[in-house]
Amino acid sequence: MTVVVLEEDSTITMATARAPTASDSTHSDNSSSNPSGGGAEGGGDDVPDNSNFECNICLDTAKDAVISMCGHLFCWPCLHQWLETRPNHQTCPVCKAAISRDKVIPLYGRGSGNQQDPRDKLPPRPSGQRTEPEPQGGFMPGLGLGEAGGFQFHFGIGAFPFGIFTTFNNWGGAAAVPPAPGTQQYQEERFLSQVLMAMGLLFLFWLIFV
Amino acid sequence: MSLLKEPPPGVTVDVDQAHTKLTEWVVHMEGASGTLYEGEKFQLQFKFSPKYPFDSPEVIFVGEHIPIHPHIYSNGHICLSILTEDWSPALSVQAICLSIISMLSSCKEKKRPPDNSYYVKTCSANPKKTKWWYHDDTV
Ligand SMILES: [Zn+2]
Ligand SMILES: [Zn+2]
Repeated sequence: MTVVVLEEDSTITMATARAPTASDSTHSDNSSSNPSGGGAEGGGDDVPDNSNFECNICLDTAKDAVISMCGHLFCWPCLHQWLETRPNHQTCPVCKAAISRDKVIPLYGRGSGNQQDPRDKLPPRPSGQRTEPEPQGGFMPGLGLGEAGGFQFHFGIGAFPFGIFTTFNNWGGAAAVPPAPGTQQYQEERFLSQVLMAMGLLFLFWLIFV
Repeated sequence: MSLLKEPPPGVTVDVDQAHTKLTEWVVHMEGASGTLYEGEKFQLQFKFSPKYPFDSPEVIFVGEHIPIHPHIYSNGHICLSILTEDWSPALSVQAICLSIISMLSSCKEKKRPPDNSYYVKTCSANPKKTKWWYHDDTV
C-alpha cells in the first residue's frame, strides 16, 4: 500500500519537494565535504553531482542536452518526442512558454566529445529510424568515369603480376611441381598465363588510349 | 517514476506493490485540515500508459469514498485540465496529487457536478476518453 500522509502543512512540503529536494540535499552534502561550498556547483567535474543537470522529462541526467529559451533543460530525444506529441501546440513542459526546435540551444559539456548538434541526430525511436546515406562520390556528375577507372585499375594490378608470376615459373621451370613440357597441364598453364598477360596488356592499352 | 527514486516527505512507495504492477498505483491521501475534507481518506488510482510521461496517466478516485466536489463525478472521474489537454511530461505524481489536493482544499461547497447523473451513465470507463470542457478553474 502506498501512503500519502497529509498533515496540515503537507501541501507546502510537497510543493517545494520536487526538484529542489535533490539539489538542496546534494548542495548540503557538498558544503559539508567541500569547504568552498558554492564552488562545487560550478565545477561539477570533481563532484558527481548531476541533479542540477537532470532532464525535466525523464529525470535522468540530460543526454544530448538542450536548453530552452526559458532556461529549462531536457534531453533532446525527450523534448523532441514531446514536441512531436503536440506539433501544433509546442510548449515548455515546465513553464508552458512557447518552444520549438529552433528555439532550443544545444549544450556541450567538456566531456561531451562529439560536438554534433543533438538536434541533427535523429532521436532514438522504436520505429522509422533513418540511416544516413554512405558518402558516394561515384554519383557525382563528372567523376563517374574516374571512379570506375580507379576500381578497374586495382583489379588490373591484381591480375597482372599473377600473369607474370606464372609465366616466369613456367619459363624458368622452377615451380614446385613443374608440369613436364608437352603435357596437357603444361599447355593449359601456358595458355592461361598468356591469356592473363594479354588481358593485362589490353587493359593497359585501354587505360592509356580510352 | 520519480517517486521511486526520490520520495518527497510524507510519501512512501510500497516497493513490492510497485514491482508487481509498475503501471498501476494507488495513492492514499487525506483531506487537508482546515478544509471541507479534513480527516476524510481517499484513494487515487494512477494508470500509466507505455507512452508515459508523454501521455498523461489515467487518474481517478477509487474505493468506498469518492470526494463530493463540483469537479469530481460519483464514479471517481476528475475534471482537471492537467490530466488531459494541459498535461505536461514534467508533471510528476507528486504534482498531480498536489493539484488534486489544492482543488479539494479550495472548495467552498460540497456538491456533485451538475451533470453528474448523466455523465456517469454515459461516460467511458477511461476518463481520458471524455472530452472535458473546462469551464471553471476557480474551484
Ligand atoms: Zn530526458
Ligand atoms: Zn520553460
